Amino acid sequence: MLESLTSLAYGFNIALQPQNLLYCFIGVTMGTLVGVLPGIGPTATIALLLPATFKLNPISAIIMLSGICYGAMYGGSTTSILLNIPGEASSVVTCLDGYQMARKGRAGPALGISAFGSFIAGTFSIVGLVIFAPTLADFALKFGPPEYFALMVMGLSVVAYLARKSMAKALMMAVVGIVLGCVGLDPITATPRFTFGILDLADGIGIAPVVMGLFGIAEVLENLGVLTKAEIFAGKIKGLFPDREDWRRSIGPIARGSLLGFFLGLLPGVGAIVPQFLSYALEKKLSRHPERFGSGEIEGVASPEACNNAAVGGTFIPLLSLGIPSNAMTAILLGALMIYGLTPGPLLIKNSPDLFWGVIASMYIGNIMLLILNLPLIPMWVSVLKIPYSYLSSFIILFCLIGAYSLNNSTSDIYIAVIFSLVGLFMKKFAFEPAPLVLAFVLGPLLETALRRSLILSDGSFLIFIQRPISAAFILFSVVVLGAPLFSKLRLGRGLSEED
Amino acid sequence: MDSVKKTKMTASSVALFWVALGILVCYGATRLGLGSVTEPGSGFIFFWSGLILVILSLMVLVESLRSSEEIVQETGKMNWVKIALVLLSIVLYAVFVERLGFVLTTFFLLSFLLGWIEGTNWARSLGVASAAALGSFAIFELWLKIRLPKGIFGF
Repeated sequence: MLESLTSLAYGFNIALQPQNLLYCFIGVTMGTLVGVLPGIGPTATIALLLPATFKLNPISAIIMLSGICYGAMYGGSTTSILLNIPGEASSVVTCLDGYQMARKGRAGPALGISAFGSFIAGTFSIVGLVIFAPTLADFALKFGPPEYFALMVMGLSVVAYLARKSMAKALMMAVVGIVLGCVGLDPITATPRFTFGILDLADGIGIAPVVMGLFGIAEVLENLGVLTKAEIFAGKIKGLFPDREDWRRSIGPIARGSLLGFFLGLLPGVGAIVPQFLSYALEKKLSRHPERFGSGEIEGVASPEACNNAAVGGTFIPLLSLGIPSNAMTAILLGALMIYGLTPGPLLIKNSPDLFWGVIASMYIGNIMLLILNLPLIPMWVSVLKIPYSYLSSFIILFCLIGAYSLNNSTSDIYIAVIFSLVGLFMKKFAFEPAPLVLAFVLGPLLETALRRSLILSDGSFLIFIQRPISAAFILFSVVVLGAPLFSKLRLGRGLSEED
Repeated sequence: MDSVKKTKMTASSVALFWVALGILVCYGATRLGLGSVTEPGSGFIFFWSGLILVILSLMVLVESLRSSEEIVQETGKMNWVKIALVLLSIVLYAVFVERLGFVLTTFFLLSFLLGWIEGTNWARSLGVASAAALGSFAIFELWLKIRLPKGIFGF
């Protein structure tokens, strides 16, 4: 513990360097901005800004990109409360009671409690990161290829289980993601695979053009001529500081939301959206007046807002200590780490302590910046929504093109982005979710290597995955998760989808 | 044709598309060589992924044939003409960006997107497009030192 605190102090030393402070500020500002804006989420933004970080040192780059992750959680609540439009997916629940509070003239306390709740949860999750990430990394040193393979299978199973529509479709997307991720040279024999003689495909399909297409351009195409101007909350926002009664009612939900978000975020495959729904359901269940939920209860804002922030901290643990992303957003961060030449995995903390501790400390500083940035600047964020969508959509396309092109300075990546934007559009039309695809796309090559190494290790016996206790536990969990829908008609994801 | 039948047919065709894709992946994988379980080959992961894709797609196919509900479209009505035009403009952008350079091609693309696709008035579209093309060149190329295509004019 003492060692962790010393390391954290070292992290603050790094995070407080002027350059890192600046990038942290840029990250949280960008995060808030995309959180506020519907139509572009943190996942696409991280991908968009990826090329802008190539010339930076990796610490500043990851500080900025993680700032986008948690900044978006703060920003998302603003539009949920004031406009009943979730700026990004993990703020959907906040609309339910947040918007009702705004309609009753209590927009101020709703925004205030969501900012303070987010801050408290953010702080909690950083403490959790300091405690758990190094411990988990030490534990993960025992992992061999079978454990990694089983862990990745578990992550993908959880993603499929949490799919809001068909679980089979989510699994299909995961499999397609693995196939796409493995395109390129064989990691062991260097045989070109599914490259169709195209030289640019030998290095594999890049994460940047895939994400630009699926999340950026596809979103714009879907909204062409559809998205109308948002009705902006006209009333004056006053009293951002929640009163004593608000605090009394919110402190329990914030604590529960933080705990729930953090621990669920830890699980590979969970991400930040599902915990938010669960925290809302939990508060409703615990409330003496569940019937009032949906009509402007502050508990219905405090808990989910705390929860989604804590979950972001939670998702960083498998990323930084195991090298396993738990959702599309952290999958791109993993891609970024690899582009910077770092090897994500249990040795990251030992080999690059400056990166690990610097990023954690910057998250705390970023949370403080967000608290300061959010409350007084809310009118400014709301005015951002007055920018016509026509401008935004054109700029999103431009940034996607720059992002896709500049990683390899290759126009083929622009064509790949175009293809994936069409794929994304059809996926939306036929209710296939992109998140399992992106996660599996990043995990694909790692999964393949782990599988092949395991089989070589075991002399061809698949029993290796159940003979080793840790991997057996992961496999068992995956089987339970994948088999659960056979026994219970109601799947969590589907239940959540009905709750929308 | 009633709408339930129509959506059923669409959903089945989509599932069949995935079945076909899965089979193609399996075929490609066998050509790459599956290796053995003791020493998996280049096509090993593709073959199993393809096979799982086929099985899952068949499950989705059965599900869609059995379901009597009309599938609720989550997406609104899409404007396919505009979508095609935007994609075409991006493809043309990719074709010309290395010849004409970033600034000029970006200016044309944004003018088209703003003026034609989004219907913003032309004077404003041209103004915004030129400011954005020059601005993004300044930010990415000059400040962030990201190499953007220069083309024959050198910018």
